[in-house]
Amino acid sequence: MARRTATFSKLTQPVRSLWQRFAFSALVLAAFALMLLGKADIIIIERARVAVADAVVPILEVLSEPASSLTRVLDKISEFRYLHSKFERLKQENQQLRQWRHVATGLQAENRALRRLTHFVPPNSPKVITGRAISNAGGPFVRSILVNVGSRQGVRRGLAAVSGTGFVGMVVEVGERHSRVLLMTDLNSQIPVVVQTTRDPGVLSGDNSDRPRLLFLPQNAHISTGDPVVTSGEGGVLPAGLQVGVITAISDAGVRVKPLVDWDRLEFVRFLDYRVDGMVQIRRTARTAATSLGPLKPDRLQPVRGQTAKPVANASDVNASGTP
Amino acid sequence: MSGIAQHLDSWARYMMPAVTTMFLALLNVVPLGLPGISDVTPLVTMMAVFYWSVYRPDLLPAVVVFALGLIQDILLGSPIGLMALTFLAIHGVTLTQRQAFLGKPFFVTWVGFAVISAGGFMLMWIMTCVLAADLLLTPAVLFQFILTTVSFPLAAWVFVRVHRYLVR
Repeated sequence: MARRTATFSKLTQPVRSLWQRFAFSALVLAAFALMLLGKADIIIIERARVAVADAVVPILEVLSEPASSLTRVLDKISEFRYLHSKFERLKQENQQLRQWRHVATGLQAENRALRRLTHFVPPNSPKVITGRAISNAGGPFVRSILVNVGSRQGVRRGLAAVSGTGFVGMVVEVGERHSRVLLMTDLNSQIPVVVQTTRDPGVLSGDNSDRPRLLFLPQNAHISTGDPVVTSGEGGVLPAGLQVGVITAISDAGVRVKPLVDWDRLEFVRFLDYRVDGMVQIRRTARTAATSLGPLKPDRLQPVRGQTAKPVANASDVNASGTP
Repeated sequence: MSGIAQHLDSWARYMMPAVTTMFLALLNVVPLGLPGISDVTPLVTMMAVFYWSVYRPDLLPAVVVFALGLIQDILLGSPIGLMALTFLAIHGVTLTQRQAFLGKPFFVTWVGFAVISAGGFMLMWIMTCVLAADLLLTPAVLFQFILTTVSFPLAAWVFVRVHRYLVR
């Protein structure tokens, strides 16, 4: 036995010393290779990624629990400090809102009547899945969060994620018990939006700052700061009309939008499933469509449209589970 | 029997740098909910890789550094391989410079970390720009570098304790 191990280690010796010599360069090369393969959406890497994340998520869930309760305590303390001024502000706001409510009920009735007149078909009411954010937004190089609900709870790629205040981002990765939401501020996020008041369409393109850019607006757009921006639903991936943010800056450098979401207090996330099936659900191509999400970007217009058209046309289960 | 226990004990000690760094990788992504912190958390894993590369490189071989980087990538959602490459670069550069830090006052190590981590952030920034085919112009990169450098002594204090009592 001893002799056998001795000969075995003798045999492996050259391999081992070779490995020790070139391990570092081999690993650096491997890292580069992974980055390239990851860019090319290789399915094995995607699966491995999801599997590892799924395995780690329970630990993250436990770790994020005390952190979120700490947040709540801190929130309470800061609330107490501003209690009086907040009360005054809310009293004023409430008065204004009452007037608005009066206007809104009138508009609602009018809207209902007009819809009946034009035989308007309202969109499906969404199925809502709520989960807790168990990771932070990831730092300056990537803006995405992990949420503790996954395919078991019915989360799919391409679902819109919203918080209490507004649109957050889109699901780009789904495991059994976790999902990853690409925030609208991420460098790779491109959301088709429309300026609510003027109906000027555009693309909200993240750049990892907290004020995403509003690109591809029409030449004659009459926008001004303070205008609300909502999702347009163009491309059929996201539903239309989700509150995104308000325009904060218009300059030669571009138009910037301030998201309505409070990134620091993003604790719970709701996924809205409108059963719109613009997203390609074939595993191989899904990530490409998810990360680019650029049906409005001219150079990506053709391939994405082409991909979406195919599966919807052949897949019978889409019609079965989808629109009534 | 005591032989096995001893063996397990020394094995656990050898694993300690890798295990604590892995734990830090998890801790790094936990949402703290503090204003502004969601943008820039100090990269504690980078500090750990630097620290162990200086003081016990035998317990943190390149393969482990690579694996830690991959896990950090998966947790952060960054392009897979980005952190792995950065950590490897930090590990490699630190290994060539570690003689300059050994037995010197802490301040020297701190400055060394600032310089090497600056290189690491630069590498991450360049790779992110290349992979996204877009120019990433956000001050958050600079903030994260500064925050990482400033909080290094605090992290080093913890690493020294782990080093002294758990690894030896």
